Order: sequence, then structure tokens, then C-alpha cells
Amino acid sequence: MPEKDTPAFNSFSADKPAALQDIRVLDLTTEMGVYCTKLLADLGADVIRVESPKGNPARSLGPYYHDESDPQRSLFHFHFNTNKRSITLNLENPDAREVLKKLVKSAEVLVESFPVGYMAKLGLDYDSLKKLNPGLIYCSISGFGQEGPYSKYKAPDIVGVAMGGLMYLGGYPDEAPFYPGAFQGYHLASVDAAIGILIALYHRDLTGEGQHVDMSMEESVCEAIEMGMVLWDVRKVVRKRTGRRVFRDWNEVFPCEDGYVMCSPFGGAGWQKIFEWVDSEGKAADLKEPIYQQALKVMAWGQMDVAALPPDIDKELLTKNPQLVTHIEEVWQQFLMTHTREELFKNCQERDVRLMPIYDSKDIYEDPQMVERNFFVDVKHPELNATIKYPGGPYRFKDTPWRIKSRAPLIGEHNPELYEKELGMSKDEIAILKKSGGI
Amino acid sequence: MADKKLPLEGIRVADFSWVSAGPRGTRVLGNFGAEVIKIESAGRLDLNRGRPPFMPGNRGVNATALFNNVNCDKLGITLNLRHPKGRELAKKLCAISDIVIDNFNPGVMKKMGLGYDDLIKIKPDIIVISMPVMGETGPRASYGGYGMGIEAISGLKYISGYPGKMPLGTGIAYPDSGPNPRHAMVAVMAALHYRNKTGKGQFIELAQYESTVCFTGTALLEYTANNKIQGPWGGRLPNAAPHGTYRCKGDDEWCVIAVFTDDEWKAFKKAIDNPSWANDKKFATLADRKKNEDELDRLVNAWTLPKGAREVMELLQNAGVGAGVIQTGRDLLDNDQQLIQRHYVKVEHPEGGPQTVDGVRIKLSATPGRIQRPAPLLGEHNEYVFKKLLGIPDEEFDMLLVDQVLY
Repeated sequence: MPEKDTPAFNSFSADKPAALQDIRVLDLTTEMGVYCTKLLADLGADVIRVESPKGNPARSLGPYYHDESDPQRSLFHFHFNTNKRSITLNLENPDAREVLKKLVKSAEVLVESFPVGYMAKLGLDYDSLKKLNPGLIYCSISGFGQEGPYSKYKAPDIVGVAMGGLMYLGGYPDEAPFYPGAFQGYHLASVDAAIGILIALYHRDLTGEGQHVDMSMEESVCEAIEMGMVLWDVRKVVRKRTGRRVFRDWNEVFPCEDGYVMCSPFGGAGWQKIFEWVDSEGKAADLKEPIYQQALKVMAWGQMDVAALPPDIDKELLTKNPQLVTHIEEVWQQFLMTHTREELFKNCQERDVRLMPIYDSKDIYEDPQMVERNFFVDVKHPELNATIKYPGGPYRFKDTPWRIKSRAPLIGEHNPELYEKELGMSKDEIAILKKSGGI
Repeated sequence: MADKKLPLEGIRVADFSWVSAGPRGTRVLGNFGAEVIKIESAGRLDLNRGRPPFMPGNRGVNATALFNNVNCDKLGITLNLRHPKGRELAKKLCAISDIVIDNFNPGVMKKMGLGYDDLIKIKPDIIVISMPVMGETGPRASYGGYGMGIEAISGLKYISGYPGKMPLGTGIAYPDSGPNPRHAMVAVMAALHYRNKTGKGQFIELAQYESTVCFTGTALLEYTANNKIQGPWGGRLPNAAPHGTYRCKGDDEWCVIAVFTDDEWKAFKKAIDNPSWANDKKFATLADRKKNEDELDRLVNAWTLPKGAREVMELLQNAGVGAGVIQTGRDLLDNDQQLIQRHYVKVEHPEGGPQTVDGVRIKLSATPGRIQRPAPLLGEHNEYVFKKLLGIPDEEFDMLLVDQVLY
């Protein structure tokens, strides 16, 4: 196949340097922080995942490759541990902790997401480890932060997104709030932790000084709620979940011929164009009547542009006559049912109307945009005799590309190269440690 | 403490980004001491300057609460980029900046002579990050988008909700305040580290579509490896029961409860006073509880219903069981002692008045960030930036105002 004319930053070529290639990270995260270390690893950091001899508990999270439940086949593990190496160490064992301390001396960063206090109990908290390595950046990711009245609370993802104020905003008003998919609390806390680590790294680059990064999932979530907090602060209004229609805007999920679309056709400037389109297909029904034309203008105005509403139109038209909106939406709904997501997406783009399709993972995988940009990358899994397509990264660096060089590690896959070659431990020492349950 | 040096002091950001996805990112840089210069124009206001909620009694562009929360710790200038002189000044500003950021459609910066190729000629180690919706290449490169739409196309909506219901997602423009500004800052900080080590800047493209897709966890891998399409997650997880949302006493009050291990199940039973149903064999193991989850959820809900959500949380958490309140904006500000102590900060905005803003969520022990100034008024720092930083003489500055270049 001829090489496509893609810009340099689309290349995942192996010969380019990586932005974080000089950084070693000790990864002691659970599922809560595992995306943080993936972000660092995919930018080239040497991330060493320190697992218990049975494997990190996150390996018992599905789904599994070909649905065979096995800690070496967890897709959760595959996805979040690309480019990492794995060693096993039983941190409950004092000899094993000495091995970890040796590794700490060689690392720039350590990330952990244990319950608050656990690392201190083992003598592996920041204050203990900074004595061994004053330049160490030690990042703790927890549900609520290292201190404060809730710091000891258990915080699986659902607790984080509930307490952070995100969950309350999604779903139907008369039903239970939605739990967003894919562990949004873990993702948010992990990305913020990575930002914190990199700001600390910048400071370390200039001064050599390390520090403790304390990341709270709740705090991370509570800044991802748009105006949830602000509205209460300045207006004493609680932002509620509003079902299909998003709070205040004419922004709604609608079914169409082959799925769903998210759109705001009547908000802002787009309504005139959308009306012309509907009309050109002879599907405008009675929306041509003056009363509906006025209603459409009020809907467009309702968004934000106060000045744009002609003085002869009653601003209260829709509140006085809610049936006008109901009918406009019925006509629009009927029109949507005659078109596919792709037709609607394309036509709305041409008309500068806000509409985007709701995609599932197959739609994304087949999206010509993703295909042409080579978003999905091949990752080899020799043990499975398979090459699996992985989703690409959140960004593309021109000179230091994001890339996946190696699949997620097997349990303890890198014990020999780290213990024997790098730490110079003898076979006897390793055998003793193994016998005492250390590795 | 108050005048301790911030870690990003000395870094200057020419911030062309607007609304949310860019500005929420550069705010973090500002919190840690970078000089973030927000480039605006009265002819093309940041949409958040016109968006309610307004501060009480003031509907002006300087008094919108959302804008004033998102843009703390930035300087504000007005620059008319439609004017050739405006573009020339923008270029000069980039030449003395470390980072340039935009979230325009692809090609807009280039057309103004502010593309990466133009900027490296005047500042060879510049770091440029561009945040188009669909990417700079590909058949849909020119497509525009908006936060809620990006949540739709990225697959996040599809997996959020309950089976059989419309895929509503988070109900907000989540990509704009969640994944995209944060991924952008990971990229910028990684590029700064690389620059520290090598002296080299570079160009970063963050397609908001791709960045948000990266928040869908295993959904894509489950399709490529197993040919399965992940549906709505509902409130349940395969390795926990009970796990979900439960109604509590009061108007629209809810809690979440999450029981994973056998120990947690035992603790849960004890915390709810060991009712006889809880010791029924059909709930004995996780597998049993998963099999009878509908019934289990009904029983748990009957237990939560007469209790306050906060009471449920405290009771269960003190027993070692994961639980929380589904908090409203009001709960966050008025009832959450953790956030009140750790997070929120009160600022006095010169036009908006007193307002509570998000503090610095990322806590660094040696070089903590802090809220240093409220959001800028429109054009508030024109004199500082154009006269002091760019050295424009007074008379010329006045002419630039008259000619609507600084507009």
C-alpha cells in the first residue's frame, strides 16, 4: 500500500526520542491510579509495575481476552499497562521492602494509590523514602486526599464520581442518576496526578528537589462538573439532571434512523438553516406558520444572545405555550427518523449546526477519520499468538511521539533483568527472598 | 508562604484558547505560576463571557461566574486578529512566549501566520499545542464540534446510562472540563521536560475526539480483541454487589454503595444490623449476590430509603464499606467538609464581587500552587503586555486602541 500523505506527527516511528525517556517510575498503583502511569509509560518513561507475587489485583478485572477469565488475559490490565515492565515484590515482607528501597534510589517518580496510611505502616511513605532519594517525586492518589475528615473513606470509582458532584447531573429527573461508564473518577484523578508529577518534574529539572504530590479523586472530579458548583455559589440554584434535554439549552439526545444523535439545532444561529433544510425535503409541516417561526426565534434567543431577539416577539412565548416546543420537536424528530447519523452529521456540518452522532466502539473503530489518522495501533501478544489493535493516545507529539512499544507485562516478567542484571542480586539472594515469600 | 516562588514562574503562555477545553487547562499552569496571557477580542468574545450565570445585579462581560471561575490566574488582553497589525502583535507575543495554545478549527492559526512553522522561525524552542475537535488531518478535519457532541461521538455517552434507556451520558459538556484540558496539560508539561533536557520545543496536536476516546477504558479493546460492543454500564460492576445508586430520605437525595469483598459484605451486614434477609443463603457469596442482584438492590434500597444520604455514608464508611452521597453543587459547597477544607477558595473579583472558585486540585508539597488573582477583565492587562512586555510606546499604544487593533 502506498504511504499516505500524513503529517510527521502521525508517525509512531521507533527511531524518534520520547519525551520522558530519561524518567524511571515505580508503579504501585491499583486500578485507581493505573491510567496515570500509562500516560507516563506511553510517553517513554521506564515504568516498573511492582506487583504482589500473585499479580496486581487489577488483573482480576474484566473483560478478558476471548472471555477467558485469567489474570494474564485481563483486557483491563492490557489496556492500562502498555509499555510497562513488571516485577513481583511482596511489600508485606521486610526483605522485599529493602529491594524496593534499592529501586527507589534509581527512580525519579513513585506512584501509589493504596488506602491512606498503608504505605506509612510499611515504612514506605514519602518522608521515609525521601531520605533515600531527596529528588524523588512521590505521588499518592486516593479517594479524598491524604488528610481531612474523609481521607480514610473507601473510594471506589462510583464513590468518587458521586461525591465529586458529577453523577447528580446525568440521567432522568425522576430516576436514579446515571453512573458514567469506564471509571471516570479513576481517569480524572490519574490524569491530574500525571500533571502534578510533571510539574514537580519541571521543578526537579531546575533544582534537583523532589516532593510529594497528593491527588484526591473527589477533588479531581469536582472540577469536571461544568457549572454545578458555580450555579449554587452565585445563584443558589441546584443544577439538576434534566433527562434528554440538557439544562437550559435546546440540546438533546434524539433517535434517528440508525441510532442516536446529540444536537442543538434550534439553539443559536442554526435554526434558520435547519428549517430550510427540513423544508427543502418537504418535511417542515406547519412550522412555516408565523407562530412557529416566532417560537423558533425565541428558542434561538434562549441560548444567550439577548440582543438578537426582535422587539415585537414575546420573550415569554414558549413559557406561555409549551405545546409550541413540543410540536417543533415532533416535526424535527420525524425528520430525523428519515436520516442516518452520517447523513445528519455531514449535512449539519455543512450548515454549521451543532449535531454529533452517538458512536459505540465499533463506530469509532470504523470511523474514516480514525482509519485515515491511523488512530489504532498494532500491539503484538506473542503468548496469545495474536496482534491486537489498541486505541492510540490522547495527543500526538511531532518530535517525541506517543507510542506503544510493548504490550502489558506478564506477572513478574522482568524479575530476572531487574533483580539479577540491574540490582546485581545473586541467584542465592533471589532464592532466599523467594523462599520467604518476598518475590 | 504567600510569596513563595511558584514552580512555573518564568514560563509564559500565549493562550489563544477559548470557552472551556483550553482555558481549563491553562488555568492549571497559571495556578502554578506560569504567566498565562489570555488573548481575547471584543469582536469575538469568549462564549463564557456571555453565558449565565451572571453575578447578581450585573450582566456585563466581566461578571459571568463560569468565566470568572475558569480564568483565574490569567492576564487578559484584547487583540483583534482580523486586523493585520493585530496578527503582527500576536506573533510578537508568541516570540516571547514558551507555550502557544489554541483550540480553533484546523488551519485558523496558520492562516493568521501563527502556525507552528511560522512560529519556530521566530522562537525556535517554542512549544505549540493545538486542540482541534477532529484533528488536523483526515476526511473530517474541518468538522467543528462542541463538548456534549464530543462526548457523543467519543463513545462515552454510549457506555454511560442504563440498558434500554437513551444514552444520555454525563448530562454536561464533560469532555471540555474533564479529559481534554487535562490531557493537554500532560502534553505541555511533558514537552517542557523534554525542552529542559534537550533545548528543543515541538508541536503537539490534541484532537478532542481522540482525547475523549481515551477516557472510555477498555471499550475499544473489547471490540478489537473480542468483537464485543460495550453497552451502558448501568450502576453495576461484575465484581461487586451491592453496587449502585440508592434512594434516600428527602427530595431527590441519593447515595451510592459499593461492596466488593466478602469482608466488606460482612461489614455491610453488621452495619445494617444483620437483618434476616442479609443472612439468606442466596446472598452468601459474590456469585450468589450477582445472581440475585435485583432482589438485593430492592432490599438495600428499602434500608436506605428512611435514612439521609450523609447518614448512610457515614454509617457505612465507619464500618469500612465504600459509600457516598450523590452530591449536588450545594452539597459540595455547603456540606462537604473535605472539599471545604481542601479545595474551595473565595476571591473578590473587581466587577463580579465575591465568588467561590475552585482552588488548586493538584497538591504539591514543596511548590504548592495557589489562586493568585481573579479572572481578568476584558483587556485588563493591555498596558502591561503591550507597553511593558512588547515595548510599544504610549502614542503607538493609543493609536492601536483608536484603530481597533487592541479591541
